[in-house]
Amino acid sequence: MIEVNDICQKYGQHVALDHVSFSIQKGEVVGLLGPNGAGKSTTMKILTCYLPPSSGQASIAGISLDQDTISLRRNIGYLPENAPLYTELDVQSHLRFMGRMHGLSSATLRDKIAEMAQACGLSEVLKRRIDELSKGFRQRVGLAASMLHDPPCLILDEPTTGLDPNQIVEIRHLIQKLGEKKTVLLSSHVLSEVEAVCQRMLIIDQGKLIASGSVQELAQQAQSGQQVDVTFKGDASQVLAALRAQFSDSRLSSHEEGDETHVSLHCLNTQIALSELVFQAAVKNDAVIVALHRQQASLEDVFRKLTGGEA
Amino acid sequence: MNPILTLVWKEWRCATDTPLAYVVAAAFLLASGFFFGNSLFLIGQAEMRGYFSWLPILFMFFIPALCMRLLADEQRLGTFELLCTLPVQTSQVVLGKFFGIWLQLSLLLLLTFFYPLTLSLIGDIDVGQIGVSYLAAWLLAGSYAAICLFASSLTKNAVVAYMIGFGCLLLIFLMGQILMQFSASVQNTMAMFSPIQHYQAMLRGILGLDNLVCMLAMILVFLSATTFQLERRRWK
Repeated sequence: MIEVNDICQKYGQHVALDHVSFSIQKGEVVGLLGPNGAGKSTTMKILTCYLPPSSGQASIAGISLDQDTISLRRNIGYLPENAPLYTELDVQSHLRFMGRMHGLSSATLRDKIAEMAQACGLSEVLKRRIDELSKGFRQRVGLAASMLHDPPCLILDEPTTGLDPNQIVEIRHLIQKLGEKKTVLLSSHVLSEVEAVCQRMLIIDQGKLIASGSVQELAQQAQSGQQVDVTFKGDASQVLAALRAQFSDSRLSSHEEGDETHVSLHCLNTQIALSELVFQAAVKNDAVIVALHRQQASLEDVFRKLTGGEA
Repeated sequence: MNPILTLVWKEWRCATDTPLAYVVAAAFLLASGFFFGNSLFLIGQAEMRGYFSWLPILFMFFIPALCMRLLADEQRLGTFELLCTLPVQTSQVVLGKFFGIWLQLSLLLLLTFFYPLTLSLIGDIDVGQIGVSYLAAWLLAGSYAAICLFASSLTKNAVVAYMIGFGCLLLIFLMGQILMQFSASVQNTMAMFSPIQHYQAMLRGILGLDNLVCMLAMILVFLSATTFQLERRRWK
């Protein structure tokens, strides 16, 4: 659905995008992550035909950026950062304007406005002027406007910025629902949100695409080994000795707390099933496990590591 | 609906939903009423030449005020990005904006039809001359709107757009005085490009093709320049 090949974008001497390539399949919900100024918004501006790339190719729904940009734009629903809207208009007039610009007939527009107002929770405020609405409602108006013409591809730049936690959950559900039928590319600073909504992530830093994949795949890429935390009941000296012998090249630390022994084992080898081996060692040495936890790198860890936020 | 007409409709809605347009319209009608009443009641002449000769000065103040936000605010508020990602050409955006503001100016002029109607009750009026004068005013308003729309495309700040627009219109207004410093051939050549000269020629009741062409060409040139400027801003 979205193909980006070797896109570069330069503003004078500053390179905003440096040979970025990726593709997004139909029906995928993909998150675009990166620190401020990484090139996320520039990527979105290029894909929506707002900015022409300095070099490279991109296409949406099989239509190249340098072909028929008008047809290409018909296939896109775009929510720019901070949801710019015509604040002098009421919600209904704004949606009507956006729909008409996409060539929707009056009858279709009436139905679509009602449908989108229902989906985005705007039915109560349709007659209200946009400048009287809260940031959350404005964001919803922007989202409704981007979906009005039923585009196969949605590009959402920070769709939940400024929303309260309840609104974030609502918009998140809406995007998940949309993702069942549409291709969605969204950027966000809220990593948990991207993790919850997106099937795949693209991490961009200093204009370069530095990682791509699911959270699990990115965690594997970012991890330098694996760690298991285990709690034994009673005397664990025997199993501790066995673990030290078996994982002599790994880092093992332990401390006692009451009648429990907490052990942390960090192994550089990611190919072995560390938690299984720990469990088997406990069984062999008649140790009782009360807790066993396999540590996984969170998306925050992955993001910080890949974008150089971690020392 | 055609995107240009949709934009005209949007401009109309935005203008009628904000107090600025009403304030400017009321001030314009008040000022134009003063100049009309001045020649009628103080000088005692039942004619509109005085009113039409003051009109370019009124336009110089009021048209930049009505046009200043057209593109400057779109760029400042980020809605220009929204517009550019809709299935519409930049030239259509510019035309929609222009026709939107020209429609508002036309309605303002339409409201001043009250003056010749009043005159017709007092005595005979030269319908042809007044008609051509209104056409001249309408074209001059269009030319000035195109210039001020271009000024609005140059900046994100509406006040700066007003100053640029006002500066350009002042320069056009003073062109006659400035050209007096030059030779007659230069004066004649430059006069061809001055909308004020054509406007004044039309006020005499003469409807020349060169007058119409110059006014329309002025509109076309500035609308093209606005389109170019908006495209250039994106390509920069």
